[in-house]
Order: sequence, then structure tokens, then C-alpha cells
Amino acid sequence: MRSLFFTYIPGSSPLHILDPRTKIVAVMIASIVIFRSSSLTGIMCIGTVLLILFLISGVSYRVALASVRPMMVFLAIIFLMQLFMTGENAIFKLSGFKATWEGLHTGTLLITRFVYLLLFASLLTATTAPSMLTVGIERLLRPLPLRKTGISSFDLATMMSLSIHFVPLLHEKFEHLMDAQVSRGLDLKHDPFRTVHSLSVPMIRTALRSSEEVAFAMESRCYQGISRTSLFDPAIQKKDFLALSSFIALMWLILLLA
Amino acid sequence: MPIDVKELSYSYNPGTALEKRALQNISVSINRGEFVLIGGDTGSGKSTLIRHFNGLLRPICGHVTVGGMQAHEKHVKAKVGIVFQFPQDQLFGRTVYEDVAFGPSNFGIRGEELEERVAEALELVGIREELYNVPPFSLSGGEMRLVAIAGVLSMRPDHLVMDEPLAGLDPGNKHSLLRILKELHSQGISVIIVSHRISDLLPLADKVIWMEDGRISFEGRPQDFIDSGHSLPPAITSLMKDLRQRGIDVRDDIFTIEDAFNEICRVKREKMVHRQ
Ligand SMILES: Nc1ncnc2c1ncn2[C@@H]1O[C@H](COP(=O)(O)OP(=O)(O)OP(=O)(O)O)[C@@H](O)[C@H]1O
Ligand SMILES: [Mg+2]
Repeated sequence: MRSLFFTYIPGSSPLHILDPRTKIVAVMIASIVIFRSSSLTGIMCIGTVLLILFLISGVSYRVALASVRPMMVFLAIIFLMQLFMTGENAIFKLSGFKATWEGLHTGTLLITRFVYLLLFASLLTATTAPSMLTVGIERLLRPLPLRKTGISSFDLATMMSLSIHFVPLLHEKFEHLMDAQVSRGLDLKHDPFRTVHSLSVPMIRTALRSSEEVAFAMESRCYQGISRTSLFDPAIQKKDFLALSSFIALMWLILLLA
Repeated sequence: MPIDVKELSYSYNPGTALEKRALQNISVSINRGEFVLIGGDTGSGKSTLIRHFNGLLRPICGHVTVGGMQAHEKHVKAKVGIVFQFPQDQLFGRTVYEDVAFGPSNFGIRGEELEERVAEALELVGIREELYNVPPFSLSGGEMRLVAIAGVLSMRPDHLVMDEPLAGLDPGNKHSLLRILKELHSQGISVIIVSHRISDLLPLADKVIWMEDGRISFEGRPQDFIDSGHSLPPAITSLMKDLRQRGIDVRDDIFTIEDAFNEICRVKREKMVHRQ
């Protein structure tokens, strides 16, 4: 894979060798805690935990940057909406709209949460090989009575891991497209309308075509969702119990204390 | 307006586990009007190199200038037109005309001059006037590619760079693309073709650059390139060598079918004269 955007970075850190299930469950717990804690100390504590995890994983800070950067625009929009549309106590006024202290508070809180979520997710994808991620998801889903709904846990896991695979793939295509349009003189900063138009139309066509290709490829290899064996067979070990229980304890503490 | 590359080095994702040195200490210059082939195996850094010509990538070491300007200045993008691999994927306009007009209009060209340039570019690639107002997606794959090429030509570049232009073309389309390239070259535009199989294009070239592992391992005339044994000679050259080895006295520094035909005729004529 070429870009750093939610890609797997091979390594042998303690995070890399954990069972994928451990990491998936930890990320789910972390996201619950992130949305439950609203105090400054809570947020800071989670930030510290993230920082420590990143240090342990040995994954470069650039990976973290790469996963947040593409979302910047959305984060900015969310922040501005919060800033101008909530609360009463004005900080300053801008042609009829007023920025408020409450808005500043909730806006900051909200985008911090989003950034934390992105970072936890990128930590997961950076330390877990895509095939392991699939197996992990599949094993976690297995106990659910999905058969009755007509979808097997294999189907669901395959769908999820396919979508995860598609993120870096589409990102790469997007970069090529951007190269082509910038080479034709497109000015990304000064011409937002042209930028959106000239990138979105080909991008949608590319996305549709790629998904069609994948479907064909899977069909021609006789893909069937029913009960597939997997190449990797992860096993939960002592270190997984240890890691997961200490992570849960830590998150519990943060929730209780902060 | 020559393209000047001096001691260029480039790495992807520097400072991470995925760091990849793609170019090392490349120096090369390409003059206006030259027909240059850039060859090399997969991953040798060809595409990375051409992305420096119009400033899409910025050198980590060294520098790239076009006619004295730094390559990342906006104006350079109009001077060095790059047609990427599968350029038909970049089309977005509601009509063929709108798409081809995109490039020049980004450089502030409007009105009559814009119309003139679009018509000129489309005519050059052989797209008929009836097609100017149809959506580009209703065309065939080959035509879409031609429209995309016109979308670069309408900027009136001094240098036209193409990444793997022949990939996936059938012989007919290949032939017409080669004709277009010849025509452009004869107008004084420099044509720079990137490909990992360059033997088909050798007859057209003034200069060959062969890349290996991020470095230039050969730079020189097509004839010297064939002698250097970096890649297989064109089939017709192998044939002439073969004939020569079998004792027929033909020249083997030939790489077009036309020249081969003339050479064989010449040898035959000589033999006839001999016999009489
Ligand atoms: N965006 C990127 N991120 C990381 N590495 C890259 C990126 N693009 C290219 N590389 C790596 O840099 C090296 C040179 O790639 P480049 O695309 O320039 O080669 P190429 O000669 O054009 O090959 P091809 O004939 O396959 O197109 C390769 O090893 C490639 O894997
Ligand atoms: Mg390439």
C-alpha cells in the first residue's frame, strides 16, 4: 500500500502481536468511554493513554496525521456549527452570527472526540494486518445468531474487511486523480467549486467500477459466504487477557474519576 | 524552455517504517523539441521522476527547473503537460468541449482563444466536431483517451509527457496515437514517453533514458541503447542481426520496417548486379 491513510504498518511491537479480537474490543470500549466522558480531565487522560499506545506501537506520528488530515474540513465545519449555533454568552459577533463560550466548549469537545476515534481506529489498522482483522471480526461475530437473518458471520466479516480494504485503495486512486487535475491547472485552494466538481465525478465512477470489479473477481474465484476456513488462526493468550483487562480497568477509572 | 533536473533525490514517506527511496541523484536535461523515451522496469522510479517535471512532487534533494522557473510554480503546469496512465479516468465534464476547456480556463483563458484552443486540440487528436457536445462518457474507451489527451494539449504545452500511453491500446489505436505524437514532435513540442517496453518507440526517439532502481543507468541515442543491451532490441532489428549471422550482408543498425525493407532490397539489387 502506498499511502499512510489507515494502512497496516508491519512491525513487532507488543500491540502488533496481540490477538486482533483484543484490539477490536479495546477500540470499541475506548469509543464508548470517549463519548461518555465530558470533563477536561477525562479527555486529557484518554489523550495520554492514546499517546502511550502510539509510543508502544512504534508507529510514526505521520500515520496519525495522515488519518486525521483528510477529515479536517468536516471537523472544521462541525466546530464552526457548534461555535455559532449553541449557547447565549457571546464572545464576538460576525455579521449577525454570534460565537459563544458554550459553543466553543462543546465544539472543542466534539472534535476532540472525533479525532480520538480516528486515532484509535488508525492505531488498530496500523498494527493489525487486514487478513487478521477479517478473522478477528468474523470470530467476534460467530456467536451471534446471524444464520436466521440469512447472513453468516463470514459474510459480515468479509463485507467489513472489504470496506476497510477499499479505504486505502480509493485513497490512492483519489491521489492519482488529484495529480491529473492539478496537472491541468486546478487550484485546490482557490477554486473550491471546480475542485469538488472535477474530483467527485470521476471518483464516483471509479468507486462504482472498482466495486464491480471486485464482485466479478470474487465470483470468478467461486466465493461463497458459507463457512470458510481461514489461513490465520488467532489464539487468545495470557498476554491478551492481561492487556485487555488492564485496558478496561484503565478506562473504567477514567470514567469514574474524571 | 528546457527541463533541467539537477542531483534530484526523492523518498516516499520519509522517516517512517514505509520509507522508500524512489530516486537517487538524478541529473538530466530535456530540450524543447526533443523526443525522449524514459524506460525501466516496474518500480524503477519513472513515474516518480515525471511527477517532478511539473512540480507535483517536490525534490527532497536537488532541484528541478523549467526554463529557469522552479517546477512547482503554477505557470509551469501549462508548459509541461502530463498525461497519466489511463487518462480517461480523469474526465468529468458534461460535454467533451467542457472537459477539454478545463485546463486552459484554469489559466485564465476565456472567449475566442479558449474556443480556438479546444478546437485545435480536438482536431489534432482526431475527434470529430459532432462529438464536441456529447458527454465524454458516451464515447468508446479509445475515444475517451483521446479526449483526455486533448485536455492536456489544449494548454499548449512546450513539453508533452505521457505515462505508459500505449498500455491497453489495440494496434489501430496504437497506430493513430503514434501518428499524433509524430505530428506534435514535428510542431516543435518535446515529447517525453514513459514506458517499461520502449522498443516499439525507438525509431521515433532522439534520446533514451533507462532507469534502474531510482538511478539513470543509460542516457544516449537509441542506436547506442540497443548496442548497450539494456533491453531487447525491436523484433525487426533482431531479424536483421539474424540475417547477418547467416551470412547475408545487411546492416543490422536498423529499427524500422521501412528501413529494413529498403536495406533488403538494396542487398538484393547488389546481388543481381553481381550475377550479371
Ligand atoms: N505514493 C507512493 N508511496 C510510497 N511508495 C511509492 C509511491 N509511489 C511509488 N512508490 C514506490 O516508489 C518506487 C518507484 O515507483 P514509480 O511509480 O516511480 O515506478 P515506475 O518506474 O513508474 O513503475 P511502473 O512501471 O510500475 O509504473 C516503487 O518502488 C514504488 O513502490
Ligand atoms: Mg509508473
